[in-house]
Amino acid sequence: MESQQNGRAIPTMTSRERVLAALRGQPVDRTPVCCPTSVATVELMDLVDAPFPDANRRAEPMARLAATAHTILGFDSVMPVFSIIQESSALGCKMQWEGKDNWPTVRMSEPIWESPDDIYVPNDLTSHPDTRCVLDAIKLLRQELGEEVAIIGKTMGPWSLAYHCFGVEKFLLLSLDDPAATKEILEKLKKVTIDFGKAQIEAGVDALTLPDHATGDLVSGEYYQRYLRDLHIEFAERIPCPLILHICGRTVDRMGFIAETGMAAFHYDSKNKPAESMDTVAGRIALVGNINNPETLFSKTADDVKAEVFANLDAGVQMIGPECAIPLQTSIANLRAIPEAVQEWHARH
Amino acid sequence: MAELSDIRNQILQDEIEEYLERPEEITRFIELFSRAKPALQDIAAAIIEGDDDAADSLTAAALEHGIEAIEIMDDGLIGGMGIVGIKFRENFVFVPEVLSCARAMRAGMAHIEPILSAAGVEKHGTVIMGTVKGDLHDIGKNLCIMMLRGSGFDVIDLGVDVAEDTFIDAVEESGAKVLGMSALLTTTMPNMGRTIEAFIDADLRDDVQIMVGGAPVTQEFSDDMGADGYGPDALSCVAVAKELMAAGA
Repeated sequence: MESQQNGRAIPTMTSRERVLAALRGQPVDRTPVCCPTSVATVELMDLVDAPFPDANRRAEPMARLAATAHTILGFDSVMPVFSIIQESSALGCKMQWEGKDNWPTVRMSEPIWESPDDIYVPNDLTSHPDTRCVLDAIKLLRQELGEEVAIIGKTMGPWSLAYHCFGVEKFLLLSLDDPAATKEILEKLKKVTIDFGKAQIEAGVDALTLPDHATGDLVSGEYYQRYLRDLHIEFAERIPCPLILHICGRTVDRMGFIAETGMAAFHYDSKNKPAESMDTVAGRIALVGNINNPETLFSKTADDVKAEVFANLDAGVQMIGPECAIPLQTSIANLRAIPEAVQEWHARH
Repeated sequence: MAELSDIRNQILQDEIEEYLERPEEITRFIELFSRAKPALQDIAAAIIEGDDDAADSLTAAALEHGIEAIEIMDDGLIGGMGIVGIKFRENFVFVPEVLSCARAMRAGMAHIEPILSAAGVEKHGTVIMGTVKGDLHDIGKNLCIMMLRGSGFDVIDLGVDVAEDTFIDAVEESGAKVLGMSALLTTTMPNMGRTIEAFIDADLRDDVQIMVGGAPVTQEFSDDMGADGYGPDALSCVAVAKELMAAGA
């Protein structure tokens, strides 16, 4: 089997080859379906007996649940980090691990630090049980899936870590009141991003998602440029694997800056139109997304999901997937509609 | 009809000229600030600039000069925050700037609230507010609460991570006619719908008007899950609460 792209024959690829080619900007046999954040659901937890919070804290259920993205949903990648809190737990944040039907979260109303001087990033951060389990899950996934599927890890950016460690409101006010202290915080926290990212590469990931929630729902595009663009360039230079930046919400006003970072891809939200987003990044970074979660994947039909997939493919978006971590009650049928729609679209084009 | 030049404070003039685009809003704020006392114009400007020290001292000085607390609140503090709300809605400012302005408003309200409370000023009614189960974000909810209280509502703040039963208990115990739910995460938005279903199951849905909001929440999502009102920001929260309070009366 082979497909045609720009008149060139492209042999059928494995899922892993497909994802890595898309991240490198190389031709693919078809558009890969990716989950740079999480596609864990209650239904999937039941199918493989890997419920939250166990699947967030122990390697075996974490790997079992992550694998379902490929084995049950038909995605081209798997992601063992379902939440955004593993590093924050390791740093000492107060946690709310929740049960099977809710996401674990950091108690941001009880911040652990007040000033940049308080920041302490232990050298053995990746030995903490809540980071170690991620590394062990990655190794298990590689053993089980071999070279067939892309394994994407996740390392949190310093802006998001600062929300967890200082509290969102306090950190955002500090960013206005004291830019120097804000930069000092980000500079100190980048060690977490780099150390955990490199540890996941050693464990076997093919790429890393780097969530750093400087979203347009909270801060301006100018903020992204002022505080994060250079740090993200540094991450792209120092973390030796393809990076997928993830920022929720409105981001089209900062996609021009994001496209300058040297990261491989940007995981974007349905608040941004595919065609406008593609025009903005102008081929300087790949896009992955942006199927709406709460209204489409969670609430509507498989046909509605497919319509959004087609809109992304028509715009030339390089990888297709949900816009962010999905609601845990999302149906398997709607998630399967994403790879089905990609296959249908390619059969017609 | 008042003119922009009738406003004495230059900051307010500049803000209206630079950031307000809708004719009805331009007219409303020119009318408001042109008739406001100069001291209250200065308070509004301090709020817009996020200057909490100035808001604190100017509010105290206005009270000392015998200006009524309610007038300081309406023309100065809420007037200034109204401009901030429009700038936020139009993406001229973002959450850090709004938080800074809210901090300034709180500094002024610290002088005003005890006076209004002691005077027993009649309130618009009681609103219950909370962030839904599984969601610990409260900036948006807190801004809404500040605007609601500033606009004359009693507010019962249930905090974050509020379970369906807690919302129901609060409505039953307080008799509040309006309930506001907030969510910041697409993963927790469905818990708004579940809470509404819980009110239906408890046979209490007709007793309370429910409004929803939060960065990822849309009018469509609000309609789909059967909420009575939706507001995209803290400014509109007050207008929605007033509408729903009237509808539930």
